[in-house]
Amino acid sequence: MNVPLLAVMLLADGRFPAGGHAHSVGVESAVADGRVRDEASLEEFVAARLATTGLTDASLAVATAHRLGSAASEDDVRCVLLAVDAEADARIPVAVSRQASRRLGRQLGRAAARCWPAGELAELAGLFPDGAHQSVVFGCVGVAAGASLEDIAALVVHHTLTTPAQAGVRLLGLDPFGVAALVSRLHRMGTAVASDAVRFATSALADLPAGSVPLLDIEATRHAGWDVRLFAT
Amino acid sequence: MGAFHGPDHGHRHPEPGGALRVGIAGPVGTGKTELVACVCQAMPDVSIVVVTNDIFTTEDAEILYRRAVLPPERIVPVQTGCCPHTAIRDDISENLDTIERLEREFRPELVLVESGGDNLTACFSKALVDVQIFVIDVAGGDKVPRKGGPGISSSDLLVINKRDLAPMVGANLAVMEADAAVQRGERVTIVTSLREEPGAPEVVTFLRRRLAAWPDLVSAGHTH
Repeated sequence: MNVPLLAVMLLADGRFPAGGHAHSVGVESAVADGRVRDEASLEEFVAARLATTGLTDASLAVATAHRLGSAASEDDVRCVLLAVDAEADARIPVAVSRQASRRLGRQLGRAAARCWPAGELAELAGLFPDGAHQSVVFGCVGVAAGASLEDIAALVVHHTLTTPAQAGVRLLGLDPFGVAALVSRLHRMGTAVASDAVRFATSALADLPAGSVPLLDIEATRHAGWDVRLFAT
Repeated sequence: MGAFHGPDHGHRHPEPGGALRVGIAGPVGTGKTELVACVCQAMPDVSIVVVTNDIFTTEDAEILYRRAVLPPERIVPVQTGCCPHTAIRDDISENLDTIERLEREFRPELVLVESGGDNLTACFSKALVDVQIFVIDVAGGDKVPRKGGPGISSSDLLVINKRDLAPMVGANLAVMEADAAVQRGERVTIVTSLREEPGAPEVVTFLRRRLAAWPDLVSAGHTH
């Protein structure tokens, strides 16, 4: 077993303290209005996000990592981070989701900087006091941890699958074994999404995927205004 | 189950002038929120901010604002994703982020972090708070101190609340105090009724002593 593989496992682990456990990425809202009510509807929800937001986020992470790989100076690193972050920002239609993405990016960066105190992660904190977008930070962290582009794409796909899945378990008391199987069933699709994301590594930033789910974007704004909510998103 | 004696590491390193962070944990309904309100009300001379992991409605905010005379912007709820112990111990990101934002904005002397109601195994990370208060209540039964757990045995202050209910629930206060002493050794235990003593004088005295000692501890680098 090699160091990068173990590093990727650490980043994939739900116990890695990067704040993800407090987010349902729309499941709480979907449960409240009946769109998610059982394993089958949860699977549809997760698959829909994977095909859209998942591909977008994985592509942004890979684009970040690929460009950091050829950055020759600190100035280059800064330019890459600023450019990709701006592209990530443009692909999140609603303000509350942009804020959440930056918060999660900041939290991921904080945890990762303790594990891999490399230059790229130090630049992040200085350039983005409110946090860079989570997808960008995944790319940056992946580089610091020695992960390949394929690993980085897989990491983003993994969290795209498991974050809403886990929220479904907590909110609905769904069978945890059934939900684990649900995630496993989506691995074929997830692998395809990860491969697609890697193919975009050399694309112009403006050509990166930009899919999202309009209904989830609308619901995210309403959810943020709830008087009581159990999840941050 | 014996006393919990975890390793003493994971100190945080606050800056000089930084706030004292106090975590308040304990089972549901024992009086954590009540304690927060009492402390805020009894210490108007201290700049305080509150982070709550409890389910917190607009109504709660208004009640706390009226009672504690603490402006709403100084009381911030944090969502825990249905995992209250995770949020204060295993993955403190959201709480840490919120505390740091409030510290930048208000430069408080005291940060109170109220956990969501949980069981006896929940305790705060030492990277999140400097002092831990664990609140149990008499109505939970006089066996609770004997059960132990990190909150009962290792918290800096154990508060046994609702002493006035002891006769009504058949709880033996002497047994509770004795069992707590076995679990806690030299650590402080206060038996009180926040309803009868809303000034929470013993808790306030404890906090004032910790506040007074805090700047020197920070300078010396010994925050636990």
